[in-house]
Amino acid sequence: MRQVRLIWVLAWKDLRVEYRSRQAFLTTLFFALLILIIFNFAFDPGSPATREAAPGILWASLIFPGVIQLNRSFQAEAEEGTLYGIVLSPVDRGVIFLGKQLANWIFMLAIDLFILVAFVVFYNFSFSWSLLWIVLLLVLATAGFTAVGTVFAAMLSSIRGRDVLLPVLLFPILVPIIVAAVNATQEVLLIGEFEFFEKWVQLLVSFDVIYLAAGFLVFDYVVGE
Amino acid sequence: MPASPPEPLLRVSGVTHRFGPVTALWDVDLDVRRGDFVAIFGPNGAGKTTLLKVVASLIQPSEGSVEFPGDEGGRELVGYVSHQSLLYNEMSGLENLEFYGRLYGLGDPLGLARAMLERMGLTEAGDLLVRGYSRGMKQRLTLARALLHEPRLLLLDEPYTGLDQHGSRLLTEVLRSLRRDGRTVLLITHNLGEGLELSTRVVIQHRGEVVFQARRDEVDRESLERIYFEAVEK
Repeated sequence: MRQVRLIWVLAWKDLRVEYRSRQAFLTTLFFALLILIIFNFAFDPGSPATREAAPGILWASLIFPGVIQLNRSFQAEAEEGTLYGIVLSPVDRGVIFLGKQLANWIFMLAIDLFILVAFVVFYNFSFSWSLLWIVLLLVLATAGFTAVGTVFAAMLSSIRGRDVLLPVLLFPILVPIIVAAVNATQEVLLIGEFEFFEKWVQLLVSFDVIYLAAGFLVFDYVVGE
Repeated sequence: MPASPPEPLLRVSGVTHRFGPVTALWDVDLDVRRGDFVAIFGPNGAGKTTLLKVVASLIQPSEGSVEFPGDEGGRELVGYVSHQSLLYNEMSGLENLEFYGRLYGLGDPLGLARAMLERMGLTEAGDLLVRGYSRGMKQRLTLARALLHEPRLLLLDEPYTGLDQHGSRLLTEVLRSLRRDGRTVLLITHNLGEGLELSTRVVIQHRGEVVFQARRDEVDRESLERIYFEAVEK
């Protein structure tokens, strides 16, 4: 129970710091909206081709800007050395990982919801109950994204050029999550039949579990030196 | 039969640490007894900060060991003040201390945080965001953070860096009070006079090696300066 409380203490601290500075939130949201708008101008919004590409556009507008948030979450810790402060405490380093991941997850979900609303408006989809399935996909895919991203962002936090390195290292590992999320979104938005939806969700849950467990286990080595 | 000397609080044995081809620490042995106030002097690049990081378990040494004989436990035995403040600028002084208090599992983190702010003369600034603190206030808050969980050993890495005269004087008063309280402290400083005045033992480190150590009463300012410059100009 103490470990769960500590995870929340760590996550709450990150959310509070971000709420007060709003550095990453506004930048990430602006970048995500920009991607949506650029694609909206590039394609004819009502055309079948645009609707077919829409699931990919939605996920591209979430994943790419998400890297800003991941970078920022550890950059802020590195600037004043606060990561040392946390690492020096007797808190298990796996718990530190879960706290940072939880904060990134909540933060990204807030962005996701903003972007989902903008996406529905820009790409002429209707606000219906089926969007709840998309919300489920956002929750699951963002969990995996932030799990891997938190580990890599911590690993690169003290390295020059981390802004460039993070996406290069992160995206190949995220391929299963992105593929599952885009395909499941396609089923919900375009096909309307949930033939493989359950399979994609199972794939997302599996990768979430793998990435969270791996992050929990390796974080000690990641922040060890 | 003479009584055997008490077991040290900290025992650093044969510690060597390499960063790739660079050897930052070379076969360092150091015993620190309870109540010791050890001042470590040395030029830039002598490996002083690396030594403190090894003691704080932030770095695993390439060879050798760091032990706290007679003490069970781990990282909570140490309080660490580094070049950086380790404080969140977007949180108030009180919130920072309360946060760290919770991480250390202290009974009443908020109450202890308030008490510590009072001790450091920061009660009135407790609710201000740290980004509005002066360098001196920040340094006192940093000390408060390091002392909050009552560590057995306090590690201070050049705490005077960036402080003006007033801030330095306040910090010296805090450090004197730590010495009076019998705290065990490892202090890294470039200031020979200040370090000598505060210390009960002095250590000179150069090129990763401990080249000199003595009790405070075995050296005076002049002899320490002579030994220091002879050692680093070799």
